[in-house]
Amino acid sequence: MMPLVRAEWAKLFSTRVWIGLLLGACLMVIGFAVLLTAFAGNPESGIPAVGTPLYEELAMANAVNVNVLFLILGIIGMTQEYRHRTATPTFLTTPHRGRVVTAKLMAYALAATLFALVVMAVNFATVAVHAGARGAAPELDADNLGTLGSSGLALVIYAVFGVGLGALLRNQVGAIVGGLVYLFVIEPIIRQIPATSGAYKWMPGGALEALTATFQGPELLEPWQGGVLLLGYGLVAAVLGTFLAVRRDVA
Amino acid sequence: MRVEVSGLSKSFGPVRAVSDLGFTVEPASITGFLGPNGAGKTTTLRMLLGLVRPDSGSATFDGVPYAALPRPLRTVGAVLETAFHPARTGRDHLRVYCRAAGLPVSRADEVLAQVGLADAGRRRAGGYSLGMRQRLALATALLGDPAVLVLDEPANGLDPEGIQWLRGFLRHLAHDQGRTVLVSSHLLSEVEQTVDRVVIVGGGRLVREGSMEDLRSGAEGAGSVLVRSPDAARLAELLRADGALVDLDGEGLTVTGLTTAEIGGRAFAAGVELHELRSRSSGLEEIYFQLTAGREQYAATAPAEETAR
Repeated sequence: MMPLVRAEWAKLFSTRVWIGLLLGACLMVIGFAVLLTAFAGNPESGIPAVGTPLYEELAMANAVNVNVLFLILGIIGMTQEYRHRTATPTFLTTPHRGRVVTAKLMAYALAATLFALVVMAVNFATVAVHAGARGAAPELDADNLGTLGSSGLALVIYAVFGVGLGALLRNQVGAIVGGLVYLFVIEPIIRQIPATSGAYKWMPGGALEALTATFQGPELLEPWQGGVLLLGYGLVAAVLGTFLAVRRDVA
Repeated sequence: MRVEVSGLSKSFGPVRAVSDLGFTVEPASITGFLGPNGAGKTTTLRMLLGLVRPDSGSATFDGVPYAALPRPLRTVGAVLETAFHPARTGRDHLRVYCRAAGLPVSRADEVLAQVGLADAGRRRAGGYSLGMRQRLALATALLGDPAVLVLDEPANGLDPEGIQWLRGFLRHLAHDQGRTVLVSSHLLSEVEQTVDRVVIVGGGRLVREGSMEDLRSGAEGAGSVLVRSPDAARLAELLRADGALVDLDGEGLTVTGLTTAEIGGRAFAAGVELHELRSRSSGLEEIYFQLTAGREQYAATAPAEETAR
């Protein structure tokens, strides 16, 4: 399996997609951190003041806002094989296509871990500098580290989820658009409507919120349950994708 | 290593692409896999390589199906696709598959040199010409130093020099190194100087399998000869008496059924003056058309070809 994982890394790092996604994620997380800190303590924004435990929790979990880029990273990792027709040499080299999907899941989980560490570091540095300038830089204590870590874990799980979604849908544009519409349109609606909001905690967005819960919201699972559920969605998508889509004829 | 295809069938919805197809490909020789567009060649090759699942039948390499080969890239090299990730360099493309197949990454540079792409290897594949992409696809096939090579229309996009190079290269791989080479084409003329054996398909079925020599001897007499003579009408009568099919048009004759030597001999014996005597085709192409399109269709296309000249 290790040669296949290394081959997937070679694919990822031999084009510039990863640079764009990582830079984009860093810029986004800086922007969110600056906005959050700038409006902290402002009574109209509802964001708690710098130095309060609630502010620090929000600031540490901020990295999770770039989850969509990690989803796209995973989606591109899988669907590029179909988009650029490299599925042919890939499956000629590895006729057991389930092994290819497994290698991608592992390769992207590891790559996303590295990227998530960068994003978390950038987030912490931004918050430390900006909140420090406003009077109280957060410390890397156990609470803050835990929140930071769970936000990073969420990013990694979203990359895995993206690989699974890509395997299921095969079409790159379709998977990205579908993923965005689901995350930003469908789930918020489900979350708002009282009749369906009970089911929200079982959905990927609800699981993510449970993992990184900061705001008071609807009823959610325990953080670890949310993480397991989210990872489960990604793996189920990958398994379904392998059997329903990836094994189909490559004509 | 011998390739055996037997009873292979595949339908795409209502369209039957391949029907009960069987043939063998022998080692140390080049086999041409011929048929018009839509005859099922690509589908057959993709089934052979485990990319398309056949409805029935089998395709094996020394008895082993592709998906069961322990190290497929080291056994079979295939050129099916000339598409690459446009942002990845040719060299990086090859290195990816070196890693996946457990080959040393140095193989990438070796095969790039082998196909004449050493200078272009560090450029992005998106900027490659079609001919360069064919060469990169061939390089990918050669990575594992395989005993069998399967090539789908490898001459597409190559310039005349490239086609000449490819012919020599394939002959070297098969005749000097003993590899099994299967190369598809929709044009017999493109491969007739290269291949030792032919497998001809039409409408998804096998129509002919055999050596190129057999095909040539079957083609004798099927070719047509162009004759010009001031005494064309008399010569036409003479040749018709010999059973030849003669088409008379002013001073020109198109003769089918006799060789140039036979026609020259008759004309000399009868004292008929000739201004031109040349064979218009070897007859191979005619045989190929007959095999793949059927006689009736061939008869319908022949006059159209006449007027075009």
